[in-house]
Amino acid sequence: MNCKHPQASGFFAAIFLLATPLHAAEVSVHKNAQSGLLTWTSEDDGFSIELIQLLPDFVRAVYGKHDFTPVEIERIAGYCVFGSIIKNTSEQQLAYNVSDWTYTDAQGKTHPLKTKTQWLEEWRKVGIKFSWTLLPDNGIFEVGDWQQGFTTVALPRESRFDLTYTWSLDGQRHTGTLKDLQCAPETIKQP
Amino acid sequence: MRARNNQTTITGTLMRFIILLLITSFSFSSHAEWEQPELGYTLSPLAKPVASPNFKLEDMDEYEYDFADYRGKVVLLNFWATWCPPCKREMPSMERVYQNHQGEDFDVIAINQMEDADTVFSFFGALETRPTFNILFDTDSEVSHNYNVRGLPTTYLIDKKGNIRYRAVGGREFDHPEVEKIIEALMKE
Repeated sequence: MNCKHPQASGFFAAIFLLATPLHAAEVSVHKNAQSGLLTWTSEDDGFSIELIQLLPDFVRAVYGKHDFTPVEIERIAGYCVFGSIIKNTSEQQLAYNVSDWTYTDAQGKTHPLKTKTQWLEEWRKVGIKFSWTLLPDNGIFEVGDWQQGFTTVALPRESRFDLTYTWSLDGQRHTGTLKDLQCAPETIKQP
Repeated sequence: MRARNNQTTITGTLMRFIILLLITSFSFSSHAEWEQPELGYTLSPLAKPVASPNFKLEDMDEYEYDFADYRGKVVLLNFWATWCPPCKREMPSMERVYQNHQGEDFDVIAINQMEDADTVFSFFGALETRPTFNILFDTDSEVSHNYNVRGLPTTYLIDKKGNIRYRAVGGREFDHPEVEKIIEALMKE
């Protein structure tokens, strides 16, 4: 922002900080004893998010049951896919928009997440009508509402990255970060 | 030759059923950790009741149902799919609430999204309690789009005049006393 008045600039910065609270949320990581796959869970300021590593074969099986061509199945299975659960844990209305969410790769470069709308546009072009399983782009959650779906990250197997996500509660924007997430391997690793 | 063809058909059907069962069980075992969130019971009232879009859909036996015929009943209208773990989890509570109000002005309809009867049939085979309420097939998701369903499961509670009064996004325990209270209040209107 090009501001002629330093005091005004500080005022806007203060408003920005107030408008986007950043808290160090409690993040728990769980490793599945059988599969070794990881789950990250975080809850903060009325919003909880859970990301579950999914094996590419699982993704292939899900889309293989629907009207997907082998090419399209491999295309989405080639992404780093997580099962994601988001929930309104507050006592008021909550809104989220995946198009505001970003991930930062190991090289420190930040990218937007591919949204459900973007996937659906690509699928429609090749004649795929199926429109479920992916986490909806945006939503307004009333008290107790929650949703789950796939979140796709354009990174190779076992890549590490940080996910920055946002939500709004009572008109106030919140930001959270899940650090050092890891994409699933191609297959379960034997001990 | 004909006997051989019949045998081939039976073997093919059996194989198809086994593959469906394997895929279904694989889906749910792989999704086991998705089942962590506890199911709540809050239904959100709509600030302003909205007229429910009408639809005509078929059940597993290809019998067509016209939603207009449900006027005069409170309807729990659920959108679901077999691959959706919370859909599976909330289904027993839908059956219980359905049974609790047998013979009353209440009904439950679960609208499956883009799956076929074989898939749903094998899914029911894996359930402890098979639903006895109507399962209808929205094969192209047109009805769910008309209801602005963005994710599964989504459930609406519709009053006797056909207006959407409550909404729940995500799984719920529909036979919770608080939900029952709402249903009974709507039935008394």
